[in-house]
Amino acid sequence: MLPAPQVARVVGPILTASEPTQINIPAIGVHSVLMQLGQNPDGTVQTPSLDEASPAGWYTGSPTPGAIGPSVILGHVDSRVEGRTVFYRLGDMRPGDEVLVTRADATVAVFVVDRVEEYPKDNFPQFTVYGNIDHAGLRLITCGGQFNKTTRTYPDNVVVYASLVSSHAA
Amino acid sequence: MKKKKTALLLVPALALGVAVLTSGPAFAATGDASYQGTLDSINGSKGSGTFSIKVSGDQATVTETVSGLAETFSGNPYPHVQHIHIGAKGVCPTPAADTNGDGVISTTEGLPSYGAIGTTLSTSGDTSPAAGTDLKVAGMGGSFTYNRTFTLDAATAASLKAGTAVVVVHGLDPTTLTKAAQDAKSDLVPSLPLAATSPALCGSLKASQANMPKGGVQTGGGSTSSGADTGLLALGAGFLVAAGGAVIVRRRLAARG
Repeated sequence: MLPAPQVARVVGPILTASEPTQINIPAIGVHSVLMQLGQNPDGTVQTPSLDEASPAGWYTGSPTPGAIGPSVILGHVDSRVEGRTVFYRLGDMRPGDEVLVTRADATVAVFVVDRVEEYPKDNFPQFTVYGNIDHAGLRLITCGGQFNKTTRTYPDNVVVYASLVSSHAA
Repeated sequence: MKKKKTALLLVPALALGVAVLTSGPAFAATGDASYQGTLDSINGSKGSGTFSIKVSGDQATVTETVSGLAETFSGNPYPHVQHIHIGAKGVCPTPAADTNGDGVISTTEGLPSYGAIGTTLSTSGDTSPAAGTDLKVAGMGGSFTYNRTFTLDAATAASLKAGTAVVVVHGLDPTTLTKAAQDAKSDLVPSLPLAATSPALCGSLKASQANMPKGGVQTGGGSTSSGADTGLLALGAGFLVAAGGAVIVRRRLAARG
């Protein structure tokens, strides 16, 4: 049996797989340990509990940060009990900002933001966010738009797209 | 011993994070597999699409979205037969594949690139190659979504694993073709015009780097209500609404703190 093929063309640096433990985003003052998030039974991605002082979380169905593909890290914009939470200012990020992800292998993967986009949750472009890519990418996701007080939900998701540029020892 | 204690003290926050883990099974550990591809225009069609297939045991679940294809055929919704082709190079044909030079890469001319039909992506019933030209179970109209779970045959499963599976969606708008091609008969079903069975979209399927979750992400509880920076941004004029519903941040209204 042939091994599963990888995307043929690879652009930029790539790290071997290692699970992420911490995220630091100097531009918006984020310093968070990372929990791990899988999928809910309905196939949507898990999010941290709203009722705790929740850290951001890495989606375990995505590549580890620095490996080829779209690594996904989620964080709440706010919570019911705590007010502003870990990714409250994600929408303030802009191209060129650095995102530092510390990994279990004691390396820090250094990403630089390519773009920031906002999508309605009911028209979320799964392939753009989660689809195969030719580099080590990172997607930071939180909620956005005008909060609906009746449904207690936000209508949109803010997605920050970043690419690995380098790595160093933690 | 002392050294060990120090190391433990360094990671209380990390340990807390790990303690609340409710992670699902790791993608690679489930034994399931997922493949995906973007569907790109071929033969001058105006279409595009996305295709993903999750395989669990012998069951396959396809999620596909297609748009921009020919809309009608003889006054009815255009039937776009579609298949997973297998067992060849695993690529989409280039214009060089048009060996008879009529300007259309026919299904037959594409075979060396993408191979024979392994699975028919029918809307009901048979998914074998035998259903390959059954127009009644084709995707209908210029835009459609196709979501179906079916039993995957061993040959298609093997081709997916080998990276040689290719999705082909057939059916061109005849008015976009040369006169000669408009008048030509299908290489597959002589009672149909060449346009009806020729490839319109093609996409090579590769193993998914990420196991694609459904829908958006519920990452807000509302304690800051409209106070979130992203909310304030959305109220301003700093967004450009693009086709397809994406809102692109062109400039930031809020000053950086």
